[in-house]
Amino acid sequence: MNGRARNIIIGLDGVPYELLKDLSDSGVMPNVGALIQKGTFRKMSSSIPEVSSVAWSSIITGANPAEHGIFGFTDIPPNTYRLSFPNFDNLKVTPFWEKDNNSKHVLLNIPATYPARKVNGVLISGFVALDLEKAVYPEDLIPNLAEIDYKIDVDSEKAHRSLELFIKDLNRTNEARIAAYRHLWVKEWDTFMLVFTGTDRLMHFLWDAYEDEGHKHNADFKNFFKRIDESIGEILSRVDDSDNVIILSDHGFEKLEMDVYVNTVLIKGGMLKLKEGAASNYSNIDHGTKAFALDPARIYINLKDKYPRGSVDPKDKKSVIHDIIRRFENLLFEGTKVIRNIYKKEEVYRGRFMDMAPDIVLVGNKGFNLKASLASGEIFSKGVFTGKHSQHNAFILINKKELINIPEYPSVSDVIGIINSLNGGGQWKANSTTENVPAGTARP
Amino acid sequence: MNYLDKLENQSIFIIREAYAQFRNVAMLWSIGKDSTTLLWLVRKAFFGKIPFPVVHLDTSYKFNEIYEFRERYAKEWGLNLIVGRNEEALSLKMGPEKGKFECCTMLKTDALKKVIEKYKFKALYLAIRRDEHGIRAKERIFSPRDEDFEWDYKNQPPELWDQYKTKTRTEEHIRVHPLLGWREIDIWEYIKREKLPIVSLYYSKRGLRYRSIGCACCCNPVKSNADTVDKIINELKTSRISERSGRAQDKESAYIMQKLRSLGYM
Repeated sequence: MNGRARNIIIGLDGVPYELLKDLSDSGVMPNVGALIQKGTFRKMSSSIPEVSSVAWSSIITGANPAEHGIFGFTDIPPNTYRLSFPNFDNLKVTPFWEKDNNSKHVLLNIPATYPARKVNGVLISGFVALDLEKAVYPEDLIPNLAEIDYKIDVDSEKAHRSLELFIKDLNRTNEARIAAYRHLWVKEWDTFMLVFTGTDRLMHFLWDAYEDEGHKHNADFKNFFKRIDESIGEILSRVDDSDNVIILSDHGFEKLEMDVYVNTVLIKGGMLKLKEGAASNYSNIDHGTKAFALDPARIYINLKDKYPRGSVDPKDKKSVIHDIIRRFENLLFEGTKVIRNIYKKEEVYRGRFMDMAPDIVLVGNKGFNLKASLASGEIFSKGVFTGKHSQHNAFILINKKELINIPEYPSVSDVIGIINSLNGGGQWKANSTTENVPAGTARP
Repeated sequence: MNYLDKLENQSIFIIREAYAQFRNVAMLWSIGKDSTTLLWLVRKAFFGKIPFPVVHLDTSYKFNEIYEFRERYAKEWGLNLIVGRNEEALSLKMGPEKGKFECCTMLKTDALKKVIEKYKFKALYLAIRRDEHGIRAKERIFSPRDEDFEWDYKNQPPELWDQYKTKTRTEEHIRVHPLLGWREIDIWEYIKREKLPIVSLYYSKRGLRYRSIGCACCCNPVKSNADTVDKIINELKTSRISERSGRAQDKESAYIMQKLRSLGYM
């Protein structure tokens, strides 16, 4: 441990600033509440788009998506319409632990770190990890994890059939995560990073249970956060004041009022054409398509020379973008504007991989959940989900008050810099190539 | 005792034990090498006349060679064959192009649920092996499933000193895995010794052979010149390619898609 202060980073996937504050104030999360009193608690902006793989990639690298190369859970490589699933191998810059090989790191359940690779310490990948055997470094930990019934993620499929089964599995997965952290805590380390991802899953399906005291799963919702708080309390009891404890989320959450299908807007506007009679997937994008969207609301211009049935001449790109922006600016649901922000890529991204970036990214207004499914016939509909991600209200909570250099409203790509300043040095140099760029995290 | 004899004896013991315990049982036969080996052992256990049905889950997308093999040996071995098909899903044109994971769920899992519901089987014999796939390493020989087919592997009775736990709560069905301890190479050594007929897809043609078979649309052959059982055994002794590699890629994407869909993406 070289006598240095240790860094303990606890991620609470998707937990919004306001919810953490509320559950602390109301006594569900007393340990977090005490830490808020004692330390520094800020609202933080997420990546654009506000999905976990993008945001956590920014958190662990300090880079914006055009630098780290992760723009979403899905991608379509140029010259194809083949959907691909970027993973840890596609991350273009190194995460903090690979820049600091002299320290020992324990990294448990960070999203977008699959497949696991060598580290000076331990890495157990988070969502989307397929196979535990490829999710664990070093391999000899696999039997220990099997022993505690470690599971990478709750089976969210269950929630579509039975919320009771889902809650049972969620708690079981969370207990195994806690058992894994305890098992790993006793190892030698300088940095311990643990992400609880069950919070995000719970809020997707049961945000309504949080807002409604009379909801039959209201207690289940609170109990889950109570259990997280107990674990945080346990961790805090195991550290001393010189250690840095950073608790943070990657994006926020809010009530889902309506799903909004971005590709359906494009289809109805005649800008996206799928082959007649074929399945609704990207490989059936037809000639005449001007643009298509990937989840949640990343719009790509279907340029000639870039895609197999590219239909937009580069010289017309500007006017197509203009046309799309106008459509989404004017998109209304029962008189309410659906889209809050429309970003052209130059406004939010900067880096070596601008070519991979979507041409336009939309961020929805409160309650509007933007989706890219090609298969929805309707622009607006409502599914089983009651909560949705939000871009503006992630949080960061640090056990120190006198901080050097924390912005009033930081973004996820500032986290590495903040930890560096806590450590009084720069051993975790951020990957950002430019100063003060919006870093994929323009502030609304 | 020769180790193949040991494996054979142990499997036959499990097969008889499960039948004595549950009576209303059936065996799943995918017509691949493992379940055909299991079928052979079941025939041996009951002296050629199997006292329960053999179920083939037919997605309608299997290789022709599989259907030919099924017809020929169902007849030759006098099997009481149940073909499980999800006709409802097939009439709605369910197929791999609608999503491989959905296709598997509808045409295999749901087809099996329908069969179990119809015949009220208490136990099913399956030919899974521990060395096939990471997660299967945790399987037990007698493995309970709940009403949602969920395998609660935390709540498994221990099987210490080979004391198989065949007793269980009545509302579930039990999966019986007589081949759990066999390795891929044991299967082939046994096929060789018993001169077992096996679907021709396993033997190399034009430099390619299948190491694992299922639906024609979702299996890829591996590079191989092994066109006899001996050559296959030889190949397995040196190969570092995993058995299910020919089936993995699409499944991985399908799995990710399913995970993402369950969270509202895609």
